[in-house]
Amino acid sequence: MTSSVLMQAIISGILVGGVYALIGVGLTIIFGVMRVINFAHGDLMMVGMYLTYFLFTQLGIDPFVSVIITIPTMFIFGGIIQKLFINRIIGSLPQNQILLTIGLGLIMSNSAMLAFTSDYKILTTSYSSSSFNIMGISISQPLALSFLITAVITLLLYWFFMKTDTGQAIRATAQDREAAQLMGINVKRMSIIAFGLGASLAGTAGALISPTYYIFPQVGSAFTLKAFVITVLGGMGSIVGATLGGIIIGVVESVGAVTISSDWKDVLVFSIFLLVLLIKPAGLMGKSST
Amino acid sequence: MFKQIAVVATVLALTIPGVSQASRVKLGFINTITGAEAPIGENLTNGAMMAVEDLKKKGIEVELVKEDDTGKPEKALSAFEKLATRDNVAGVVGPYTSACANAVASQADKYKVPQLIPAAAKEEITQKGFKYVFRLNAPADVYSSVIMDAIMTQGKPQTIAYVYANTDFGISTVKTAQSYAAKLGIREVANEKYQKGAPDFRSTLSKIKSLNPDLIFMVSYEVDAITLMRQSKEIGVSPKAFLGAGAGFTTAQFLAQKEISDHVFSSTQWTDDVNWPGAADFGKRYKAKFGKEPTYHAACAYEALRIMGETAAANAGDRDKTRAGLKNGSWKGIMGDVKFVEYEKFTNQNRHEMLVQQIQAGKYETVFPPKYATKKAIYPFVRK
Amino acid sequence: MKPLSLITGNTRGFSIPSLIIGIVLLGALFCFPSFVQSPYALHMMILLFLSTIMGESWNIIGGYTGQYSVGHAAYYGAGAYGTLVLLQKWEIPPWYGMWAGMAVAVLLSLIIGSICFRLRGPYFVLASIAVAEIVRITVLNTPAVTNGAEGILLSDLPPFKIGGTVITDFVSKVPFYYISLLLAIFTIVVTWLLQNSKLGYYVQAIREDQDAAHSLGISLSLYKSIALAISAALTSLAGSFYAIYIKFIDPSTVLSLDLSVQIVLIAIIGGIGTIYGPLIGALVLVPLSEALRSNVIAQGLINCGVVREDSGVGIFLKEHLAHAHVLIYGILVVIVILFMPDGVLGFVKKKSRDWGLGTGKGLDR
Repeated sequence: MTSSVLMQAIISGILVGGVYALIGVGLTIIFGVMRVINFAHGDLMMVGMYLTYFLFTQLGIDPFVSVIITIPTMFIFGGIIQKLFINRIIGSLPQNQILLTIGLGLIMSNSAMLAFTSDYKILTTSYSSSSFNIMGISISQPLALSFLITAVITLLLYWFFMKTDTGQAIRATAQDREAAQLMGINVKRMSIIAFGLGASLAGTAGALISPTYYIFPQVGSAFTLKAFVITVLGGMGSIVGATLGGIIIGVVESVGAVTISSDWKDVLVFSIFLLVLLIKPAGLMGKSST
Repeated sequence: MFKQIAVVATVLALTIPGVSQASRVKLGFINTITGAEAPIGENLTNGAMMAVEDLKKKGIEVELVKEDDTGKPEKALSAFEKLATRDNVAGVVGPYTSACANAVASQADKYKVPQLIPAAAKEEITQKGFKYVFRLNAPADVYSSVIMDAIMTQGKPQTIAYVYANTDFGISTVKTAQSYAAKLGIREVANEKYQKGAPDFRSTLSKIKSLNPDLIFMVSYEVDAITLMRQSKEIGVSPKAFLGAGAGFTTAQFLAQKEISDHVFSSTQWTDDVNWPGAADFGKRYKAKFGKEPTYHAACAYEALRIMGETAAANAGDRDKTRAGLKNGSWKGIMGDVKFVEYEKFTNQNRHEMLVQQIQAGKYETVFPPKYATKKAIYPFVRK
Repeated sequence: MKPLSLITGNTRGFSIPSLIIGIVLLGALFCFPSFVQSPYALHMMILLFLSTIMGESWNIIGGYTGQYSVGHAAYYGAGAYGTLVLLQKWEIPPWYGMWAGMAVAVLLSLIIGSICFRLRGPYFVLASIAVAEIVRITVLNTPAVTNGAEGILLSDLPPFKIGGTVITDFVSKVPFYYISLLLAIFTIVVTWLLQNSKLGYYVQAIREDQDAAHSLGISLSLYKSIALAISAALTSLAGSFYAIYIKFIDPSTVLSLDLSVQIVLIAIIGGIGTIYGPLIGALVLVPLSEALRSNVIAQGLINCGVVREDSGVGIFLKEHLAHAHVLIYGILVVIVILFMPDGVLGFVKKKSRDWGLGTGKGLDR
């Protein structure tokens, strides 16, 4: 294998990892604040994808521009789901939380199937397969753009959590729910915001991947699993960790496919996941124990 | 609970098999309506619906009992047992996936219910000597042999790379292709399996690019084909020919991606420009009705249901006579000549002639076998 | 049901009425195939027993020990593959192969346990998923042994001898009915024995409070591993049975994450940590999913004259309800979790207490 192949693998791994990071960050926020593992995370992404698809085909809005609409819409959608369902099971048995989100995921994907049929939807933009060349390495135009947007969103989130009152209140809730409540923080509101944020990030990831991928009702499940891996890798609740986790997974998959083989690369991903769990259960960037 | 089941079941057991007139038959149709395989299943449903309409025009009223197997063999078995013992259908068309079709096949003989498989590719299904199991489509090996035959009429390729989904269909198709290529003296330079639905093939493709093969042989479901070809263009992979075995390379969606799909070869069970009676007309009507191009899955389901409907109606819904009718009959329709015969290890297998098509100027053109060709193949591949 | 009462206030004896009901029910189940020949009904009963085995086995580790494994497909797959690989490669009859499958499952459970039991709560759940996925991909990518994605197709079953009788007719459902019934009874008996054993008390103590149990001198890793091994062994039996019954397995049918989730669902819908919970779960889920799948509900409404077949509603129901069955399934899962957090069994018991209909003692075990 030549070094240019390896370079190509690393570069495209990082770019794809950017989108993974966005999914992971959404999941990590939800988990951090509510301690609920959201099995419907990929399905939220799917909703974002359909939204993007219809904005593009019906109104002609470019997927990268329509993110401006997707983010608030998905935020409201996530907030409603939190208020109606997730809220009722915070602090209940973990298996019930898992099953509730599985049930919600089934409802979302099968409603999408009834509404839009199970047909694959393909969003074709003028740049879907465009690329530019830097020193013999081809870089996908849409991927590069989505990586840029991901970077901006992650920075904004970081600022939000560090500098704003609401952001700090959410962090306080994540650290200790009861203490936060005693401090006068509206914990319920914070949970709604957190789930809203998680949903809008998942939706955004869906929007960003749409021009290079495809859309169908069951598209979410593969990404849910990936999101788990990324989140644990980075440390549950850590935004920087999830971002890093996403990029690591992207690169491992991509480089694994050329150095080992594309059929074993997922074993590599899961093995790294288990290793991190065992050696550093709090994840790469996690602070708390277990 | 148990008592209720017992009562219901006893009532069922007592029900006399439906007395049907020549013009009215009850048939079962097992398909994947929900679950991961549902997108392809939908094409089969559409094809079957059109067959029911067309049979009605011929005076055959089909009462079609549609069953969803969700892509799981045990559900397919539930569906089949319900059809065989409760609905008392004269025959069953389906299931779509190989795993489900196989689970049902072993039971078809037991209940003596004729089963006509429209599109499942696994070779073994019709190699076990089942009397009541018939298959319309060509099995997996033909997908690769026909396209290799086609390409050998075009030039003398030296090397080949395989990129395919790690699924039953992907593996069995590539196996045949490998032994075929070895016989033809084509050297294998890469063999890359991938997980269905993967979003990123860039690193694999750049590795293949560096090996510079003459042929790239791909087996992909549905839209993976589009992802693969998009990224091939991105990376700049340019072999003498891209070969796609069925499935994802034969869809309307793939065709619609003009930028990336032009000049790709694919093997298929059916095209709408082939001169089989009614094929073009079926394509036109299907497009008018469902607003999209028909796939070979739709055509297979249509023809399977038509054959089953006509045969069952001619035999007044009698299962044994319907079986005999399928065994001895021959048909001519949108899938060409159909006859269920014994050859090599197969029984009741239609020796369907597969076609090779190439996308030229945004249209699927049949290029092989020569007697069906509408256009001359473009070789080697040129990227626009 | 207070956890403490489970540990301390549990009596070993059966009450007379529940004993009689149990015997009558068992008798009815054993006679069932003599009265009902419909293969469809038998098939449904077999699926019911199979689901019961899966739910009960998961219950041992999930319900009693409190370790929510969402990777039980690995053990199910071990049973299925163990049985069919031996049969296909070395022509070892499945009646022996299933024990080999079980050995593989137990071995696997020990390895998985040694990795996953260091973790708690959600981390354990995620680790169990990851390990099961590794097993699935490994099976997928070692075609020399497992046939990979092509799966293993079984054409003939060797005859099965019990005592003097030889069963060769495996197309008939009756042998499978009895095998699955016996296996289901076996798992329930094992669960009952476990619940009333010292091991049972230990694992329930671990479930209630790991740290407290540890401070009492209960070895966490030892007892969790034993419980998982038992659970894995029983799950592998279900897998072996499925493989022999359906005669085709591939990684996506016997090793998928979907299957792991389905196993958990059976137990939780019914009610975990009780002997009859998973049985109730199977009794609810199997007929329900079949009714939804085969669209008998829409057909029933039409037949009863509630909706006319040719009316808009009738056509809508007939065409779309078939597509909506997984949707309805999802809605039911959500309803059960929100309104019956202790499962159907827990809900019924609570209601019957609320209405003063006795204590539901017959089911309380």
